[in-house]
Amino acid sequence: MSSVRNVTLSFRDGKATSVAVQQGDSVLDAALAAGIPVIHQCRSGSCSSCMAKLVEGRAGMRAGASSTLLRSEYDAGDRLLCLTEPETDCAFTLNYESNAGSTQVAKAHAFVDSIDKVATNVVRLRLELAEGAWLDFKPGQFIQVRVPGTYVTRSYSPASTAADLPKIELLIRVLEDGVMSKWLEHEAKADDVLEIEGPFGSFFLREKVPAPHIMVAGGTGLAPILSMIDTLRRQPGRKPPILLSFGCATPEQLFALDDLELRRQWLPNLTTRISVDHHASGELLCGNPVDAICEADVAHENAVAYLCGPPRMIEAATMKLLNLGLRAENIYAEQFAASN
Amino acid sequence: MSDTPIVRRRSTGERLNEISDARVNDAKVQSQYQPYKDAAWGFVNHWYPALFSHELPEDAVEGIQICGVQIVLRRVNGKIHALKDQCIHRGVRLSAKPMCLTKDTISCWYHGFTFDLESGKLATIAGNPDDKLIGTTGLTTYPVEEVAGMIFVFVREDDYPDQDVPPLAHDLPIRFPENDERFPHPLWPSAPSLLDKDIVAYGMHRTGYANWRIACENGFDNAHILVHKDNAIIQAKDWVLPLGIVPTSDDCIAPVEDENGPKGLVQWLFTEKWNPILENAKVDLKIENVNARPYRTSVFLPGVLMVENWPEEHVVQFEWYVPITDDTYEYWEILARVCPTEKERKDFKYRYDYLFKPLCLHGFNNCDLYAREAMQDFYADGTGWDNEQLVATDVSPITWRKIASRWNRGIAKPGRGVDGTIKASSIRMKRTADGKRPAYFVEKIEEDQ
Repeated sequence: MSSVRNVTLSFRDGKATSVAVQQGDSVLDAALAAGIPVIHQCRSGSCSSCMAKLVEGRAGMRAGASSTLLRSEYDAGDRLLCLTEPETDCAFTLNYESNAGSTQVAKAHAFVDSIDKVATNVVRLRLELAEGAWLDFKPGQFIQVRVPGTYVTRSYSPASTAADLPKIELLIRVLEDGVMSKWLEHEAKADDVLEIEGPFGSFFLREKVPAPHIMVAGGTGLAPILSMIDTLRRQPGRKPPILLSFGCATPEQLFALDDLELRRQWLPNLTTRISVDHHASGELLCGNPVDAICEADVAHENAVAYLCGPPRMIEAATMKLLNLGLRAENIYAEQFAASN
Repeated sequence: MSDTPIVRRRSTGERLNEISDARVNDAKVQSQYQPYKDAAWGFVNHWYPALFSHELPEDAVEGIQICGVQIVLRRVNGKIHALKDQCIHRGVRLSAKPMCLTKDTISCWYHGFTFDLESGKLATIAGNPDDKLIGTTGLTTYPVEEVAGMIFVFVREDDYPDQDVPPLAHDLPIRFPENDERFPHPLWPSAPSLLDKDIVAYGMHRTGYANWRIACENGFDNAHILVHKDNAIIQAKDWVLPLGIVPTSDDCIAPVEDENGPKGLVQWLFTEKWNPILENAKVDLKIENVNARPYRTSVFLPGVLMVENWPEEHVVQFEWYVPITDDTYEYWEILARVCPTEKERKDFKYRYDYLFKPLCLHGFNNCDLYAREAMQDFYADGTGWDNEQLVATDVSPITWRKIASRWNRGIAKPGRGVDGTIKASSIRMKRTADGKRPAYFVEKIEEDQ
């Protein structure tokens, strides 16, 4: 007798559906087969798009599968549905509305407009969609880019917004041995054509939230945050207070400072704190972007936070914000890790 | 042979002549006012003048459009109510054929949907009083303030909460004598405000055929005064009106960005920060008039101009450029004076009727109307915003654009389901064929006898 488990998935807008999960299937497999719009992409535990919270029952992750889920997240009930197999009947909550996962993923070609080194280890890649091509994305989501001449794809979150389409701006961290880094360094030039696909990811700006927004960005984690800030400034009516804490290892690794100055000009409610781990001088704070957040910054019980950067930064920021009184369901995070 | 389709670049036009690197509005400056460039339909969630008090007598109903939002106004027992002029049922303009069956409601004349004037809620449907839609929805309401014989409406988005509505004063120019110290005026007495006690305001409003931003920037541009060179009042009164006024220092304009007050800028005219140009030998122009005529211009969100000490002492000129659509605006010209006595009121009215109106509001400002129209085509499709080549005197519009970008309460989205969204609709073409121009007021239905 095979054990079929009944799994309930509840979205943020209150809509909920149940699906029967066969033994051996992941919750994601079953949900997609039943047409439930669960956000997903890699189906292998690396992208975190299919993150959900276990609220009833028992469910573990597939034996032998590696994933980017942190121990602290697992203990708190977070699961990646693509690797989750229910042990009993259970219920999960998803941190987005029921219509969020229904945006069509599209493939497109994009031309390179420019490649600029904006920091010692960051390249700004400006693209324009080819004629007849289109894709949409929410601020914070990512696209996959195929490195020309290879079968390798990399994920990047546009720093631009959907309103800027057909133009797309990516901020890419260059690594010594990176496949994309090598292409950017040695071969890439204007008018090259890239194959891209998207949008993916459940890390995106939840709109129309009036409470204060705290954004913590490490390195190129700033890209999706910039997309969110630009979306907020186009939002009509009162804009929420925004605190952005951005940090890199050294001043030479900093980038986008002009862009941040422009956003401060457009948004009277935006405060920025820029940190570097070493060689701070002038207005730069010494330390990491989590250090730059203090108790006085969390004054509102409904404050929301968006975190993007290396896994350790995410862990430290989450713990600090929870201690300062933010609610867990109001903290959204995306890990940026080198994909070699 | 590959079966993949050819991948092509999106096409862009070829440029025939180069854009000068010496232009003041380089890419960096332009990006600072990108939000202003996005605001073709105006800034929403602001106070705008809607009508003169005398245009809405007791029990009258009028329909207008501001920032692509259709608004119906009705006066009942002296109080004015403003609601969205678009029936929730199927979008009919209530004002096109006013039907007010009770003192506290307004009904749609087509299917009888009846709305409470105070709350906007759907109170009943004339021929369907038990429908389950009743009480569950309604029309957006707009706060109204009536001052100095003018009716102001807070044009807001549907979900802009009541508690966030600011006082009317935040969308009107700064006041004097409160600002005497910050903005001294040694050459003229304090300019009045519409909020002053005993204020009397006269003026007019007419529809202009350009984008509201083109109209707005014209008012305080210190190079455009050239078009007024030949105006009758300048010559009759022998006024010194320069060919142009150029800035002499970086702080020639003072921004106004106080937390709980108007947002805008004041230009330091008639100080050493601005240099009047009275002659240009190359084109054989020389201003030989002898009577000084000091004044000062300032502009505030959402786009209201103040000209202190104009056209004479103790009088102030206010102008609004209210966006109707992205290519029409309502141009308001108001002259205001504090008149505490009956005699002063009579004298001001006489002066307005026989001097100010013919020689200033018409004689002087009519050129502004055609000048704006002449610039409209360049900006209508967005070309102008990218390709304009600005000069030193344009520090005025550039500063305004930056301040407006930072402090506006919302960028109006293009009108949806309203007159003017589709430019060449059959109704608009019918009206044009009938000799009627695109207008600010709704066209009321006249039944044939």
